[in-house]
Amino acid sequence: MVVICVLMLIPFYWVLKTSLTGENIYAYPPAIIPVDPHLFNYVDVWYMIPFPRYLLNSVIVTLMAVCGNLLFNTAAGYALTRDFPAKRWVVLLLLSCMLIPFQATIIPAYLITSWLGVLNTHLGIALPMLSTIICIFIFKASFEAVPRSLIDAARIDGLSEWRVMVRIMLPLSKPAIATNVILNSIWSWNAFMWPLIITRSPEMQTLPLGLARFLSVMENTTGALYAFVVLVLVPGLAIFLMAQKEFIQGLTSGATKG
Amino acid sequence: MSWLAILRHRFVAVPLGLFVVALGWNIYVGMNDGGIIAGTVVDATGRPIAGARVVFFERSMLNYVEQRSVTTDAQGAWRFDGMAVHIGQIEARLPDGRSSERRQLRLWFRAQNTWLAPLVVDGHR
Repeated sequence: MVVICVLMLIPFYWVLKTSLTGENIYAYPPAIIPVDPHLFNYVDVWYMIPFPRYLLNSVIVTLMAVCGNLLFNTAAGYALTRDFPAKRWVVLLLLSCMLIPFQATIIPAYLITSWLGVLNTHLGIALPMLSTIICIFIFKASFEAVPRSLIDAARIDGLSEWRVMVRIMLPLSKPAIATNVILNSIWSWNAFMWPLIITRSPEMQTLPLGLARFLSVMENTTGALYAFVVLVLVPGLAIFLMAQKEFIQGLTSGATKG
Repeated sequence: MSWLAILRHRFVAVPLGLFVVALGWNIYVGMNDGGIIAGTVVDATGRPIAGARVVFFERSMLNYVEQRSVTTDAQGAWRFDGMAVHIGQIEARLPDGRSSERRQLRLWFRAQNTWLAPLVVDGHR
């Protein structure tokens, strides 16, 4: 297990090492230990491109995506735990929609976004990520794990459906919430294709687009490029490390019965 | 849940810690971003050289290009003000053609106040 962990971490180590030294990645023999490490490549990245602007855009889009997901997915997940006409067909429809690749929906998504007048805006970038089907089912599984007697007791006490969800379901579904936050943070943080299509001005670009732009504009900047990669990766890694317990719980809750 | 427990929760403590570090760094930057780059020019024996021309080279897309220059005073001291750069090169040149080695300058933030070690002009031209 330790060997596998080390093997998995080698690429991360190599990116970090190159960002600290700026050495030629094709150098042979490669240096395992960083030679004369420094942080100036990170300073270069900060000033060579509008990194703070890209970072702000990514943060805004990610926050919008996470908030949208928490709002819409909890509502949809809770609705799927209730009985209503054609529920089976709705579930089937959602599951079948998961089979359609995003690339196939780009043109209609673009037309809808254009029709809404949110092209080249943060909302436009976040729009397709405001709700994800897999996260709806994570909430559905989590809500179904809540004992029926608790919900019945809440109803007897006079709580409405919304208050049952807010007061009973959500406090008992923290792993599902954490899973939603992590998954949607990572997905929206790393999104490339949709922001590339939807943004028209450099001021609206997110970090992955900035990385592509950095690659196309700058030459002979191996260290700065790898420093940029580290800066793009760090927020996602930090969120995962902060919430890994809830993340694992959320993914495994509902996986077993009893 | 008490306030202390909320503050100690990792979802609060980590972003808060990052915010404090960023705030502290920005305060430090705000107090040291006068754009002053200064130093002295000396000969191989360590004596200050007056009247030397100190040139600052700014990095462009491909190489370093001469941007500004100042002349050293009687104590061999020189100083650039309002330098909104974080990377560059510095070289001292004497009227007789001798020059110092061109020194790479890398700063931690743009316009960082910096006092360099003396630029040494030896015999080579």
